[in-house]
Amino acid sequence: MQQLAGSRFGRYLNPLFVLGVYLFLYLPIVVLVVFSFNDGDFAGGWKGFSLRWYYEMADSHEILGALKASLIVASSATILSLVCGTCAVIATKWLRLGRWLNIFYANVLVPDIVLGIGLLCVFSVMGFPLGYKSLIIGHTVVGLGFVIPIVGARFHQIDPILTEASLDLGATQWQTMRRVVLPLLMPGLMASGLLVFTLSLDDFVISFFCSGTHIETLSVYVFNQVKNMIDPRINALSTCMLLISSACVMCLAYLNVLDQVVHSE
Amino acid sequence: MRVVTTLQKIASQQLPFLLSLPAFLLQGYFLLIPLAFIVVISVTSDALGGQWLFTLSQYRDLCSSMHMKVIFNSAVLSCIAGGLSLLIGYPVAYYLAMRAGRMKHALLVFLILPSWTSFIIQVYSWFYLLQKHGLFSSFFYSIGLTSEPLSLLNNYGATVLGMVYCYLPFMVLPLYTVLEKMDKRLLEASADLGANAWQTFTHIVLPLSHSGIRVGLALVMVPAFGEFAIPDLMGGVKDLYVGHMIMEKFLVFRDWHSGAAVVMLSFMIPIVCVGLWYLMSKSVRYVQGEE
Repeated sequence: MQQLAGSRFGRYLNPLFVLGVYLFLYLPIVVLVVFSFNDGDFAGGWKGFSLRWYYEMADSHEILGALKASLIVASSATILSLVCGTCAVIATKWLRLGRWLNIFYANVLVPDIVLGIGLLCVFSVMGFPLGYKSLIIGHTVVGLGFVIPIVGARFHQIDPILTEASLDLGATQWQTMRRVVLPLLMPGLMASGLLVFTLSLDDFVISFFCSGTHIETLSVYVFNQVKNMIDPRINALSTCMLLISSACVMCLAYLNVLDQVVHSE
Repeated sequence: MRVVTTLQKIASQQLPFLLSLPAFLLQGYFLLIPLAFIVVISVTSDALGGQWLFTLSQYRDLCSSMHMKVIFNSAVLSCIAGGLSLLIGYPVAYYLAMRAGRMKHALLVFLILPSWTSFIIQVYSWFYLLQKHGLFSSFFYSIGLTSEPLSLLNNYGATVLGMVYCYLPFMVLPLYTVLEKMDKRLLEASADLGANAWQTFTHIVLPLSHSGIRVGLALVMVPAFGEFAIPDLMGGVKDLYVGHMIMEKFLVFRDWHSGAAVVMLSFMIPIVCVGLWYLMSKSVRYVQGEE
């Protein structure tokens, strides 16, 4: 270690390289955000600070519609996958069939494009109309792949002594679940909820295949809009989405679960 | 009264089963059936009015030169994206795991922060820099590198740039996990025994991080193989990739059977490669162990 730190590579080159990579990661984003406050379109260069594009964004029915669709889908998928996932975790552990939960790892492993195409085919064969319902189902299935492993791991950590004590002291099973197990699961629920919400809000591939012709989520709207074209309203919108996802990541970091997610890979 | 208690008893016995039902039903209907469906339609054709017959003709069609070219394009792009993100990602993961100290967690959060927004937006953010009259081309023009402002978009380099930008965190995370868990005393032991930094790296760090490299390459190369949004937005329409082919077959030509064969291919090729590599590294270790 001494020698590693002592070599020229170790002392200067490696940190400089890392600095360069972080610049590479953040330069485009910073430029995007800065130009969302530009008073004028891109061709004219910097014209001074203004919130003009934010007002225009708020006036656009298309953008508001896409925002509404994304929020509806993301929140429904989050709630559905949390409820179904938690119930499944509690029930299977109760029945001592916990290993069946392993099949939910498949949801994360299957590439989005395969799942998106598969869902599209099955929906068409079943005669299921594409729209909100199909989008919510697709996102919920992906969400289960995150909720169940995270909540399951959390459930595994619960000390059985606590639940036994609760049962001994006369609580019914239902009361034990509600008053002891659920509060202990809370960090896992929060973390996986945030995770599913952000992933669903940002998802492109599954939304692209499952949204049909009537509904556009934000990512699909941006994709259709920006083919080689710059629209400062999109910058304003992107800045808002960046803020939302950064807030979620900060919450996750605060809840200290990023480490768990990283290590579970 | 007895009926009520019996009912309650049945309900309480069946409750766990009923609770777990929604998740498993969702999983079955909307994950397993779609996957099985793709497998089935990729090996059938519906030539005889509604009857599906077993055939491998879709896979045979994939061997035509046009399809092979598209598959080759995707394979090359996926290898370049995997290789470049490994080259760029390894030093970053090394620094984060070994040398960042208390900054480690903050740096990790800031590394994955960009990848938490939609990658469409990440790609869009590059438009400002690369476009004609964009910041980079204006800069190159002003220092006299180019005779007029050029668009740096719509070329192969832009596609590769977009891929590396979007997939880099997926390479760094597994590498970081492995390097962070590594026993740091091994490095000290190696240095004490007289190895220089490079020898320590190639003989200790690199072999021990092999599993992280494998996971990272899989996380980057599998999705990169089927990617279509990034080449579409950054690279123009010059080269076709497997992702385009899937989208066209399903959404434009409505030729599900051959589309499903492409989907299977985009799924199987990277998995087979990763599996082969795993077996190979295992057998190499076995042979080395024998010596």
